[in-house]
Amino acid sequence: MPTSARDPLLTVNGLSAGYGKIGVLRDIDLAVRTGEVVALLGPNGAGKSTLLKAISGLLPRQGSIRFAGQDISGAGPGDTVRAGLVHVVEGHRVFTQLSVIDNVMLAGYGLPRDERAVQVEEALAFFPDIAAKRHDRAGTLSGGQQQMLAVAQGLVRRPRLLMLDEPSAGLSPVLVDRVLAAVARLREGGTAVLLVEQLIDKALAAADRVYALARGSIVLEASTGEDDLPNRLERAYFGQEARAPLAS
Amino acid sequence: MTDATSPISMAKAPAGWLGRLEGSWSWIALGLIGLLLPLLDDSYFGVIAQRAYIYWILSAGLNLVVGYAGQIAIGWVAMLTLGAYATAALAAGRVGGVEWHPYLALIAGGAMGAVFGVIVGLPALRLRTFYFAMTTLGFATIVTQVALAWKDVTGGGVGTPGPVFPWPFEPGWGFYYFCFILAALATWITANIGSSRYGRALVAIRDAEVAAEASGIAKPKLLILIFLLAGGLGGIAGGLFSSLQSYITPDAFTFEMSVLFFIGILIGGRGSILGPALGTIILTVLPEFAAPLVQWSTFLYAALLLVIVLVIPGGIADLLDYRSRRALTQHREIAPRPELLSRVLGAKGEPSAIRLTGIALHFGGVRAIDGLDLEIRSGEVHGLIGPNGSGKTTTLNVISGYYRPNTGTMKLNSADLPFDKPQARANYRIARTFQTPRLVGAASVLENVMIGGTVRGHGTFAESMLSLPRHHRDEKQLKDAAMQALATVGLEQLAPVRADRLQHSELRFMEIARALMLRPAFLLLDEPAAGLSAEEIRRLGALIKAISREGTGVLLVEHHADLIFDICDRVTVLNLGKTLAAGTPDEIRSHREVVSAYLGA
Amino acid sequence: MLGSIVSYGLAVGAVYALIGITYNVMFSASRVFSFTAGMLGMLGGVLGALFINKLGMNAVLAFVLVMAAGAAFGVVTEILTVRPVLKSIEQHLYVLSTLAFALMVQQVTAIEWGTEAQPFPVLFPIDPNSALGLIDQKFWLPVLACVVTIVGLELLYRRTLIGRAFLAIAEDSYAARALGLPETRLRLASYAIAGVIGALAGFTGAQMLLAYFGNQAILNFYGFVPVALGGMGSNRGAVIGGIALGLFQQAANFLVGGIFASVAVFAVFIVVLLLRPEGLAGAATARRV
Repeated sequence: MPTSARDPLLTVNGLSAGYGKIGVLRDIDLAVRTGEVVALLGPNGAGKSTLLKAISGLLPRQGSIRFAGQDISGAGPGDTVRAGLVHVVEGHRVFTQLSVIDNVMLAGYGLPRDERAVQVEEALAFFPDIAAKRHDRAGTLSGGQQQMLAVAQGLVRRPRLLMLDEPSAGLSPVLVDRVLAAVARLREGGTAVLLVEQLIDKALAAADRVYALARGSIVLEASTGEDDLPNRLERAYFGQEARAPLAS
Repeated sequence: MTDATSPISMAKAPAGWLGRLEGSWSWIALGLIGLLLPLLDDSYFGVIAQRAYIYWILSAGLNLVVGYAGQIAIGWVAMLTLGAYATAALAAGRVGGVEWHPYLALIAGGAMGAVFGVIVGLPALRLRTFYFAMTTLGFATIVTQVALAWKDVTGGGVGTPGPVFPWPFEPGWGFYYFCFILAALATWITANIGSSRYGRALVAIRDAEVAAEASGIAKPKLLILIFLLAGGLGGIAGGLFSSLQSYITPDAFTFEMSVLFFIGILIGGRGSILGPALGTIILTVLPEFAAPLVQWSTFLYAALLLVIVLVIPGGIADLLDYRSRRALTQHREIAPRPELLSRVLGAKGEPSAIRLTGIALHFGGVRAIDGLDLEIRSGEVHGLIGPNGSGKTTTLNVISGYYRPNTGTMKLNSADLPFDKPQARANYRIARTFQTPRLVGAASVLENVMIGGTVRGHGTFAESMLSLPRHHRDEKQLKDAAMQALATVGLEQLAPVRADRLQHSELRFMEIARALMLRPAFLLLDEPAAGLSAEEIRRLGALIKAISREGTGVLLVEHHADLIFDICDRVTVLNLGKTLAAGTPDEIRSHREVVSAYLGA
Repeated sequence: MLGSIVSYGLAVGAVYALIGITYNVMFSASRVFSFTAGMLGMLGGVLGALFINKLGMNAVLAFVLVMAAGAAFGVVTEILTVRPVLKSIEQHLYVLSTLAFALMVQQVTAIEWGTEAQPFPVLFPIDPNSALGLIDQKFWLPVLACVVTIVGLELLYRRTLIGRAFLAIAEDSYAARALGLPETRLRLASYAIAGVIGALAGFTGAQMLLAYFGNQAILNFYGFVPVALGGMGSNRGAVIGGIALGLFQQAANFLVGGIFASVAVFAVFIVVLLLRPEGLAGAATARRV
């Protein structure tokens, strides 16, 4: 069923998820439109990483998730990747025992060989520094380079929506800008991005819209052009501004 | 209607789950059958029963090792072999030319088993599960091979006769009653251990080792005692076995027999005495009544083990446990009663402080803590906040003794606090909770909390084993204290409930009750509010504040900014392992840098 | 005499090394040590003797079928005894589930095949007086199998994408899953490969060890020693450990006799483990608090 230009690419309704008995997310509603960059902000422990994991299928969850017209509420990570929704997890977890090129090739596991070769080169082209080290073991790369490698992995499948979990963590400002420049290029190319970030200023500069997550619920939703956003965010984090009444 | 001065009602303190002679009716029934069996005057049944008693004596001990301590000692048949050969060889005069009196030989067999029980068990302190299982298997093989080779003592492949016991335990019904009495004794002492603080400590080591350490439980000493006891019981069983068989050869002690003991315990269920007893009896008796199946018996036992592991890991004990299936009230509220804290925590001590100076800790290339000074004072709540990876939990782990820093000092008043010794913290009355609740799921809430007070007991292992008065005084005191702690955190209604049935927020409060059992001078809380509702967080905050007002120094590691700002007297903000700011909550709140770092602008 | 020690030692050491690799392949795929490694080795010999001696098949066909059987047993192990347990919090259960299954197979073998060790046929009709016949095939077959396996695994891991996927899962199964790698299918394939390696060890070693149900227990332990000493998951360590074990065992056999040789091996095993629980080449794992 084709999506109209107005239907969001990703629609999340009533999503709840957690770890075993620990409920972390309560009844989340969220949407990302084609070609849009959405930032997901919030204090630690709010559940931002949990939300991405719930969307990509790394965690069991309740609620409905629709992507590109398909219902992926029961899908695992393999299926969501094939549908065009790719999740780059936090902590630049690349395979240190394998070479850079092997790391990127693995992201294309299951693709026909020729397609894979082409898309791997495309992905590496985003990060020429990494491409130059293609035969080095990923363990010899610096943290920042590993992060770029992880994003390159995410690009191999030419995703329609790329979810990045704290790509700036542990990176120097220069590298942070490098990563966010890649996000901008993706946006130009029509790829939507859902970006979890700690650095509010950078996130607001890169994104079209922003959600704030605190204590497992969405507490703010706004376009990045709106007034007084930093203050509103700060208040939302500390519980004084509510988009909806907080559960008690 | 209770007020702050009325005592908690103790009339209905519930019995625990672990190791009690649960279903006393079953034991009475078994006992009666055992006592009255000779009336049938069927020697065939008599022999089967004797074999069952002997196997149970060994299994009762092994039950503590496998069922309680969770050590997968698959090759335990070696104890039977050692005991059997020791008793037989000594009684027959094959050692040193002197014929030992059978009873003395039996005791020697038990001693042999005890010594080797410890030797075989020691690797468990260092090795992973599978590795330990393998070493016990290797040991069992070695013992059999030595029995084959040492012809002078063991008779080699030809074998050696077993001892004949004199009146009143002569072969026939006399010996039957000997085995029966010893089996009853083995049941009694292992059940006593199981329902004592030692039994609970074993299960804590099995299921929540980190929490056991924090409660002061010393794993090595306890495991050695258990291996000693279990080895001794196995050795005695071996001595009796050699007499029952009247002639033993090395191929009587097969790997299949070892597996049989093991399966009997697992079928019966871990943490129970009755279950494994029934399991052992069933496995011993069954082949006799299904003669064509004898050849396939080991196959069927293995298949049964597979089914148990995949379908009912809790064994018969779980199946029989209808109480754990009774429904709990759905919408339960946790209502702490901070006014009860003064009884739980006892008298206020001298004001003291924990001081960290210049602590640094690297993991590989990462500087987890990079030069930290911190002070936790009695009567204060000290909050520790910061972004992910700032070193909050690492700091807490250093204070509680799990990590050793590369540099820096840690002092309690003027004395050095040792690094790397988490189980020593209980002596200093430093208690903690964990980021993810650590609990013994199969035990009751009450038993879980009692585990926190293990080091408060005075009775020795032997006193518990023999059910002496001091053991009972200990148990009563621990139970009372635990009920008080539970009432304080608002969970006393759930005391008899299996802990794994509790909601996450209830488990968090249970951990606090467990920590209170140490009457802590210092309480370290690791993100206690995670997963709690807003109202629960409010109540948690009130409880923590009340704890500090009783004189306890509290370190609160948290993400929830509102909780921190509400109840903390002082706050330290960490970023990238260093102190970013320290002061009162108001000072911190208006500190621009903190807000930026914390919010990431 | 020295020649005998070396030839027996290398050959039996190669079998131990292959069983160690079997353990490692299963471990890398699932973080689980399975009791079925020895079982696979035992089946390699027993099924080979069954097909060739009892059913009269030719050696090549029998070989192929035994390898297929190994793969099949590997797959059944994963589905029946490992996968259901991985989801549970109680990690120790896998020790029991794999033990139970291995024991069931052993018992069926003991009952149907018999408890006596039976001869395994000579596979290659080589004239013992010719140049090729200088070294008895029962010695060089296992060594050849070991070399082929190591080379094969290297090629798999370094030259194929699926091999690199195995390495990825062994290093970080969470990241592999997030990347979309089909974790379950890859684990199943790993267990099938482990099954083939174990069966290969048993098939090529059976001229020495005979077709005997008791080999399961022997190979379980002596195949595990190289893993414990060489470090979990390290195939290189398993090979070195296996060869060393084989030579040490034969030397001890000669010098002090069979029983004390076993005691010696066991003593070395325990002492090394107590000093370095992670093995001589392994890395200590940190504890999660």
